[in-house]
Amino acid sequence: MRTTIEAAFSHHVDQLTDSTPFRRLECGEASSEDFDRFLANLIRTHVKSPQLVAFLYALAPPDASGDVLHNLLEELGIEDESGVAHPAMLHDLAARAGLAPVLPELERLAADDLRRIASEPLLFATLKEVGLAALCEVVAFEFMLSRVASRIERALETHRGLSPEALTWFHHHSEVDIAHAEQGLRHIEDYVRYYGFDEEDARSLIELTQRENVFIKRYFTQVSPTTASAGGG
Amino acid sequence: MKLVSVNVHALEIPFVEEFSHSAQIRLASDSVVVRVVNEDGAAGFGEGAARPYVTGETPDAMVEHLVRGLWPKLAGLELPDPVEDGLGSVGALIPEMAPPGVIAPNAARCALELATLDCILRATGSSLATLLPPRREVVVYGGVITAGSIDKVVRRARQMKIVGLNDVKLKVGVGNDVERVRAVRQAIGPDVSLRLDANGAWNLEEALKFLLAVAPFTIAAVEQPLPRGAMGDLKALREASPIPVMVDESLVTVQDAEALVAEQAVDMFNIRVSKCGGLQRSVEIARLAAQAGIGVQVGSQVGETAVLSAAGRHLAAYLPDVDFVEGSYGTMLLVEDLSVESVRFGHGGRASVLSGPGLGVDVVEERLRKYSKRVVDLPGGAKR
Repeated sequence: MRTTIEAAFSHHVDQLTDSTPFRRLECGEASSEDFDRFLANLIRTHVKSPQLVAFLYALAPPDASGDVLHNLLEELGIEDESGVAHPAMLHDLAARAGLAPVLPELERLAADDLRRIASEPLLFATLKEVGLAALCEVVAFEFMLSRVASRIERALETHRGLSPEALTWFHHHSEVDIAHAEQGLRHIEDYVRYYGFDEEDARSLIELTQRENVFIKRYFTQVSPTTASAGGG
Repeated sequence: MKLVSVNVHALEIPFVEEFSHSAQIRLASDSVVVRVVNEDGAAGFGEGAARPYVTGETPDAMVEHLVRGLWPKLAGLELPDPVEDGLGSVGALIPEMAPPGVIAPNAARCALELATLDCILRATGSSLATLLPPRREVVVYGGVITAGSIDKVVRRARQMKIVGLNDVKLKVGVGNDVERVRAVRQAIGPDVSLRLDANGAWNLEEALKFLLAVAPFTIAAVEQPLPRGAMGDLKALREASPIPVMVDESLVTVQDAEALVAEQAVDMFNIRVSKCGGLQRSVEIARLAAQAGIGVQVGSQVGETAVLSAAGRHLAAYLPDVDFVEGSYGTMLLVEDLSVESVRFGHGGRASVLSGPGLGVDVVEERLRKYSKRVVDLPGGAKR
């Protein structure tokens, strides 16, 4: 099971890093609007992540619930006194990147993304299956960021001129966070075991959720506003 | 009410994954979406999917036929009220013009009929369900398994089982078919209905040999086993086949339906709104099928967007007897769909009937522009 999941995640990470828009960001060939579009999409993708982690916490098996709670508190910036909520890091990134004027719209779009997920007819019969699909997507992003975040951070620093302070969110999700990704892979296995999934069914469900490269879709395919497209500076 | 402008969008929406069958490999939707606007600025959307091997239309030829043939004849005409005058009143406005080399320009006709209906109904705050009153609250869709290796079709079959689909169609005619049918039947179990679609890949002898070989796997129907045109062979196959025979590519026009009925050549019709030239003609073909005791599948176009899916949903909800329904795959196949709200079915293939104004879906115009590889904008054409 774990081998299948890791193979699928790795394949999608490779597709992302080999994709033309990613390579253009990394080598500095992307236009400033491309960089801003990427940042806007990234903020839209992750700004509601505490809510997703809270959903996973609600369904977490007893053995994993402590870890997921810790992740949730970290997302909310209250795991220790010096903590900063991850959405606040993204707000700061938006402000320092000059995207503050479109932040309300990005927040609205992110909320609407959640609303649509909740409103769309459910493909699965039970909440345990919905939870597994959601867990896979969240862990897929952790897996990808633990391998790619520092490359994105460097590209944004070098070619978009963002300061290390602006890029704190990437630092939190970079290779230093590889433990989270490993923990996530274990959680998928724990989840499958705890909820008594037939292994073949679990594998089919995971493959179904991994048919699409969600990284490319969220970071490069969706249309999020930038200050240029919004008519601002 | 009159239509004063049209935008014709030739789309290219990438698929989440390749979709292939014996006649085609598809990586993206190539639907053509028509946006019409009336004199008050109200817009309506329609869609057609050109298939050279079905209606003889290509997307480019479809766009040309729309902008040079159909639109100039429709623009500026006083439009009927289909709620008062019936569905056929809109279809009657669209001229009969067939470009050379085309079996029937049905995708173009469908796109314009749907857009006009959507515009009129939206302007009057009416739903298409007023014209096609639903006979059921929920439409139940099946899944389609693309051609591929045994491993690939088995994985897809298991995924469909997870999604709770009650009927599944497997593309055949690509080699190794008996083994693939056996493997899919094993994967979905005995309770899920299984159909096969050859897209005209065989001759009579090949078809019969194959159907006899797979009959033990309890096959609900085989779709388009022979190429279009072989009416005598089709009838002979139906008489000898242990499996009900359905036509798709052989059923493009109302005249095709009449001939198939007269010859008693088939057991089932696959009625697809785009292929059959829009809703009015689809309803007419379904009526002929019902009179002749022929079963009906409401089919779809691979890569259709929410606009065409909505039309198919209305048709499937309206017809009295429907054996199978396909479509409404939405973002299961497209990286993004065009509608604000998803029209994709849920667990068990179940989807509610649509009751909003017009076709019942709101198009995100930004997405429509984003995925248009070609757009033709025209003001009103010649007045009549």
